[in-house]
Amino acid sequence: MTAGASGGTLGTAPAIPPSRGPLALPARIRASWSERSRQERLALRLLLPMFGLVFVVATVPFILAVIRAVTSDTGTFVGADNLGRALSNEQLYEAIKQTGVYGLVFLPTEILLGLGIALLVHRTVRSPLVRAAIYVAAMIPIVIPQVAVGVVFRLLYIPDYGLINVLLGQTGHDQILWLSNPSLAMFAVASVDVWQWTPFVYLIMFAGLQTVPPESVEAAQLDGASSWAQFRHIELHYLRPLLLLVLFFRLADVLRVFDHVYILTGGGPGTTTQFLSLYLYRIAFDFSDLGQASALAVVVMAFMTALYTVISRFLPADTN
Amino acid sequence: MTRVATRIVTWAVLVLTFAIFVFPLYYLIVTSLKTKAELFQAVPSLFPHDPTIEPYVSVLIARGFLGLLLNSVIVGLASTTLALVIAFAICYPITRLPIRPGLRGFVLNWALSLRFLPPIAVVIPYFTIVRTIGLYNQIPALILVYTIFNLPLSIWMLKGFLEQIPAEVEEAALVDGGNRFQAFRLVILPLASTGILAAGIIVFAFDWAEFLFAFILTATPQSMTFPVGVQGLVTQFEIIWNDMAAGGVIAILLPLVLMLFARRYVIAGLTFGVIREK
Repeated sequence: MTAGASGGTLGTAPAIPPSRGPLALPARIRASWSERSRQERLALRLLLPMFGLVFVVATVPFILAVIRAVTSDTGTFVGADNLGRALSNEQLYEAIKQTGVYGLVFLPTEILLGLGIALLVHRTVRSPLVRAAIYVAAMIPIVIPQVAVGVVFRLLYIPDYGLINVLLGQTGHDQILWLSNPSLAMFAVASVDVWQWTPFVYLIMFAGLQTVPPESVEAAQLDGASSWAQFRHIELHYLRPLLLLVLFFRLADVLRVFDHVYILTGGGPGTTTQFLSLYLYRIAFDFSDLGQASALAVVVMAFMTALYTVISRFLPADTN
Repeated sequence: MTRVATRIVTWAVLVLTFAIFVFPLYYLIVTSLKTKAELFQAVPSLFPHDPTIEPYVSVLIARGFLGLLLNSVIVGLASTTLALVIAFAICYPITRLPIRPGLRGFVLNWALSLRFLPPIAVVIPYFTIVRTIGLYNQIPALILVYTIFNLPLSIWMLKGFLEQIPAEVEEAALVDGGNRFQAFRLVILPLASTGILAAGIIVFAFDWAEFLFAFILTATPQSMTFPVGVQGLVTQFEIIWNDMAAGGVIAILLPLVLMLFARRYVIAGLTFGVIREK
């Protein structure tokens, strides 16, 4: 009630009679200031307990990971032993390399493909109905659980029953062992990523293209600008922040990749698709070396936080 | 002439792309409708000759996946509700009340930065905590972890929706003699309800799809979620493709239906509300 009674200070400002003279003004300003700080106190009272709790709950695991990283299984302090063991494992570097290759395969493919299709649809499809149909269709791969996507692609790639091998067989070709051939396994798991996330890039790019003012495009066309010039000098300008956004989320996802790879290859054959996340899983839960895994987890979390700090500056998101 | 040719080529490209994206799903559904006999034909067929729902019955009843489905729903509903309530409590002061921009920025920035932490790195300490407090293989552990996991997204989505409500609406309620709680309950809550529902649907769909946490923090059907069960179908009973496909179809079905209701918010959900559909 009290908040309501004085909460209208700003709204009722014109009601203050002008006849009160210059003396009234400081009082009103003072009132509005104290009201403001009162509201701010209310905001802090509401925010701090809940946010503090959440912050602690989310930060405790990180602290525990740090503690676990410098202790042995029995809880004695071992310093950098765990980290040393982690860093001297050659499979770690193999995992980092494979993760890098994977990212370098799927990120550019998804972005170029998604952008290309968005431009194509933007320029050739005029019917709102077809556009809406593409919109819904593009959303399907995105909302499907990764595990189910793994199942879908098993049914494409496995020998004998897999759709691709069925088609190869019917056209008189030999089967291809997509998931157990070392040089093809990487392609197979990356193709899943491209299948699932190119539509995501498409949707964002297509939404971005709708914000380009038609006048500037028409003016350029009147001047005889080519389709490429139109893209390069006008559309790209509007898409740049969105491209950054896509890069931001997909970059965060490079280290999240787990589900579909675990289902398709389990990191194999050998270690050819054992990305960092699968490697960490193996260390922690197959080898039960929680010390080494915690040391790696801390390094990864610190690295990603640093990467976030750098990238988030360029984001179109409103964080201030 | 060249214009017609380009049109034909572009449409051909579009149709082909569409086919590439849809055909894998078609094959999944076809496989899930096949009988065991048809499964082991020398040449697998592209149509079910004798469509049957037997694989679905087998997965849900005989293998007991109905229980896993129930676990998924319980975990999803509980953690979605929790995440939304907490996110709302955080978002209300930072969007509707005067607060230092620095503090507001810190809260939002911190939430967004959590999105950058890979779940596998986070789950390693969670695993130790959950085992220490005796919640390993228990549904409450999943609810707790999912709530934390989905908070950043919930905060960002709700913040977007709450910001859209003009300050004047609330002020009008306050001028009319209502207190802040009444203004919140009678004005803000109803106006934000669409946004809350949309955020709820998106968060629930993410919970539904989550695999890694559930895979590591559960061990038996008592607390396992559906995706963990489907993963087991793939790795343990590989040869029974129709059951595996049926499991996949069931896992896909719910998010698909939800998406149809919340399709305007899916992209917002995936980009933390940075991109919003008109």
